[in-house]
Amino acid sequence: MCGKVLKQGLMYAVMLAVAALFVFPFYWLLISAFKTKAQIFVLPPQFFPDPVVVQNFADVFRATPIARAFVNSCVIAGGHTLLALFLCSMGGYAFAKFPGAPGRDKLFAFVLGTMMIPAAVTLIPVFIVLTRLHLVNTYWAMILPGAANAFGIFWMRQYIAANVHDDLLAAARIDGCSEFGIYWRVALPIARPALAALGILVLISSWNNLMWAFIVLREKSMYTMPLLIYLLHGELRTPYGMVMAGGLLVTLPLIAAFLVFQRSFIQGITVGALKA
Amino acid sequence: MAGAAQHRGAFWSEVWRYRHFYLFISPFFLLFAVFGLYPLGFSLYLSFMKWDGLTAPVSVGLENFVMLFSDEMFYTALWNTLVIGLMYVPPMFLLAFIFAGILNSKRLHLRGLFRVGVFMPCITPMVVVAIVFTLLYSAESGLFNYVLRAVTRLFPGGPMAPIPWLESEAWSKVSVALLLVWRWTGYNMVLMLAGLQGISDDYYEAAIIDGATRWQRMRHITLPLMRPTLVFCGLMSLIGTVYMFDEVFVMTQGGPGTSSTNFGLYLFNLAFMDFRFGLASSAAYTVSIAVFVVSLVILKWRRPATD
Repeated sequence: MCGKVLKQGLMYAVMLAVAALFVFPFYWLLISAFKTKAQIFVLPPQFFPDPVVVQNFADVFRATPIARAFVNSCVIAGGHTLLALFLCSMGGYAFAKFPGAPGRDKLFAFVLGTMMIPAAVTLIPVFIVLTRLHLVNTYWAMILPGAANAFGIFWMRQYIAANVHDDLLAAARIDGCSEFGIYWRVALPIARPALAALGILVLISSWNNLMWAFIVLREKSMYTMPLLIYLLHGELRTPYGMVMAGGLLVTLPLIAAFLVFQRSFIQGITVGALKA
Repeated sequence: MAGAAQHRGAFWSEVWRYRHFYLFISPFFLLFAVFGLYPLGFSLYLSFMKWDGLTAPVSVGLENFVMLFSDEMFYTALWNTLVIGLMYVPPMFLLAFIFAGILNSKRLHLRGLFRVGVFMPCITPMVVVAIVFTLLYSAESGLFNYVLRAVTRLFPGGPMAPIPWLESEAWSKVSVALLLVWRWTGYNMVLMLAGLQGISDDYYEAAIIDGATRWQRMRHITLPLMRPTLVFCGLMSLIGTVYMFDEVFVMTQGGPGTSSTNFGLYLFNLAFMDFRFGLASSAAYTVSIAVFVVSLVILKWRRPATD
């Protein structure tokens, strides 16, 4: 009996220690944002900033266009996510609910086949296309590529096929609802959980995207948060205090949202496993 | 003749009847054609061209592929990718599997907290995380060396020499691998938990009645039934390691030297630092096809073993 309690206690101690280890880098980010550069590199390390410095935040707002970058990130991640959700849900709805349409199965098989294309292969041509369309250094360069997401259309189709009943659509049709209205007002509300999961996946990868921002965004006024922080970190005599303050600002919204909606987040990040 | 025309007429009237289907999928396919299909073909075309993006492309036949396979950096990048993968995937799988087991045991409390903590790295911007790890890895003033030295001070032989995590070619891959374990264990844990939850308790109850030991249950029930999940995790790790970019781009820039340049960074450098679009396209195609073939081989193991 006593051994069992001891064993259980040990188990909890290990679990807490592991969780703490995984969260620790976030703690380090948090406290480093409130340290001067000298405090960040001092030995022994300060596990709590002494003194607590808020100057970094003032500096990063004064010296870099971080407020603008935050707005850019919101527009890009929001626009990209909404566009992807719209395209994928409308396409997925069509593939799920128009079984008789000529060529439907072939088109769907084709979409599935394109899921295998790695982004690495299309990287250069997409850049060329954006250049030719004069979209480099605009929001569109970040919003359009990848919005027609083959996995997304597959995911929405599966969910709508399983959860939206044909009777409901037929009833709406008899009531004189337009075809678009049926998709928008009948099917979409039912597909909300699937939209949430896909939306979170797309939103996070868009918000965190560094490589594509590095390639297509040229002017300071267009920088996203990750790009701004990357370039700040690359400066000569890196201003670490500002880098950490900015890093905290780009990470915080995600962590806050994750803590509130953690179930949807975990489902969203792992929706791809459905294929397994 | 008349029958064919009638048949064709019937086909088009069917298409017209289902016009909403085509309307609904057309925005997707339009965007997909511009940013998916066309690039796919254009990239193949570029594989046989020499092009810097400014001057006119020149057809060079198979020269890009010859150049690729004689480029020492190509092999270095593939080797680094392999070594980093072998360094981080096994410990990550082991940890994720153990953690998933913990989350699956219904008698334990604190599971929610544990899951949140371990999963959190998966959602955060890599650029920030990589910079934080750069600080932690710092040879003179980083926390990792500070803790290692503080601990080893208690043992005979005194404190160990500081490890040059990011400064030495010998350690840079280890540093990247550690970051990857931290970053992706939670993701695999959640997938493996879903796999474990898919196994019916009946199997275990029957096995216990038959007197199977803990190890036998693991060996003959859990592992075979987890095979599809493990294969999926393996595939994601393969793809993730080959095309990984942010981690090395921010933390090591592929260095010191070329010691941590993986394929993803090599490709990026070819394309957007050297502007060798033709060579980069041939490299992307070659490796993507190789990854695809390896994926098919791995997928053969997907079916749960029935023995």
